Amino acid sequence: MSQPRPSSRQAFDEPLWWLLFSAGGVCFAVLLPATILFFGVLAPLGLLPSNAITAERMTALVFSLPDLAAIGALICLPLFHAAHRCRHGLLDLRLGNDGINKWFMYGLAALLSFAALSLVALGLWR
Amino acid sequence: MTHRALSIRRYLPDQDQASYWQRYEVPADDSTSLLDALHYVKEELDSTLSYRWSCRMAICGSCGVMVNGIPRLGCKTFLRDLPHELRIEPLAHFPVARDLIVDMDVFLDHLAAVKPYLIEDAAVGTFDPAAPTPHRQTPAQLARYRQFANCINCGLCYSACPQFGLNPEFLGPGALALAHRYNLDSRDSGKQARMPVLNRHEGVWSCTFVGFCSQVCPKHVDPAAAVNQGKVEAAKHTLIALFKG
Repeated sequence: MSQPRPSSRQAFDEPLWWLLFSAGGVCFAVLLPATILFFGVLAPLGLLPSNAITAERMTALVFSLPDLAAIGALICLPLFHAAHRCRHGLLDLRLGNDGINKWFMYGLAALLSFAALSLVALGLWR
Repeated sequence: MTHRALSIRRYLPDQDQASYWQRYEVPADDSTSLLDALHYVKEELDSTLSYRWSCRMAICGSCGVMVNGIPRLGCKTFLRDLPHELRIEPLAHFPVARDLIVDMDVFLDHLAAVKPYLIEDAAVGTFDPAAPTPHRQTPAQLARYRQFANCINCGLCYSACPQFGLNPEFLGPGALALAHRYNLDSRDSGKQARMPVLNRHEGVWSCTFVGFCSQVCPKHVDPAAAVNQGKVEAAKHTLIALFKG
């Protein structure tokens, strides 16, 4: 049984999605749990000093240039990581068409990333 | 000496297009391998059973079968390590030719596509026995690819790979591991010829890092690592191609 000649089309986009996925995986595994621990567990339990999270401090922290990078690491990259996993999950379940799923998943990640970064940028500019 | 039950998925296309299960009782002790058990069936119980085997020592890679749904080499699998009821099937994801014999042409085509041999840039001159020019390689250079060179082409990783099951056009773990093995070899200069084959959707990018290929590999080649190191190489290849235009 001989196979038909395989396609020689290069996957120029895949390295980009994979690099975003890999970078997002590291952020998902390291930075996101630390953030959740800080804001989601320690702060509500009152284990942080009372002045650690105040409205003024948070405003100054969120609307700053370093926070643009932090949002990229905490929201944008994990979004692309999740989009990559969802796309391959759909492929495994044989749902939809991979070409369309790709546009939808990475498009959604790009849109949400843009929204998150825009919010910070708007706050900086105001 | 105890007796063990062996259910084998039979497929005899000259008699019936449907496969069926057949149960055999085989004597077994602590040293009985699955291949020994199949030999017993063939020689003592049912000479119509067909299966592939050759070396009996996990070198030839012929006797791969599904054991209770997991791909394994018959010769390297001992009944003492397995549950009492055994269900033996031909390797998954390959077309079945007869009983436990599968058609591995798809794998061999994928293997050929990645050029799994040393490619030299310079033209090979005539061999002069008086002044041989060996390829020198340091232990460190050998260590880079040695693990990936242990592949015996048994195809267990293809039966373990859900992506190959979904899309047989995917080059698959075995071929990609061997491509990586030659790409890492200091004596080889064929990487430029291999990368366009690897950097396709059906190349390294079809792998979703399930990792089952590395678990079932009887020679500990770790094809999943090879494929994912191949993704780094394919990403580099793409970047270089973009800059070169």
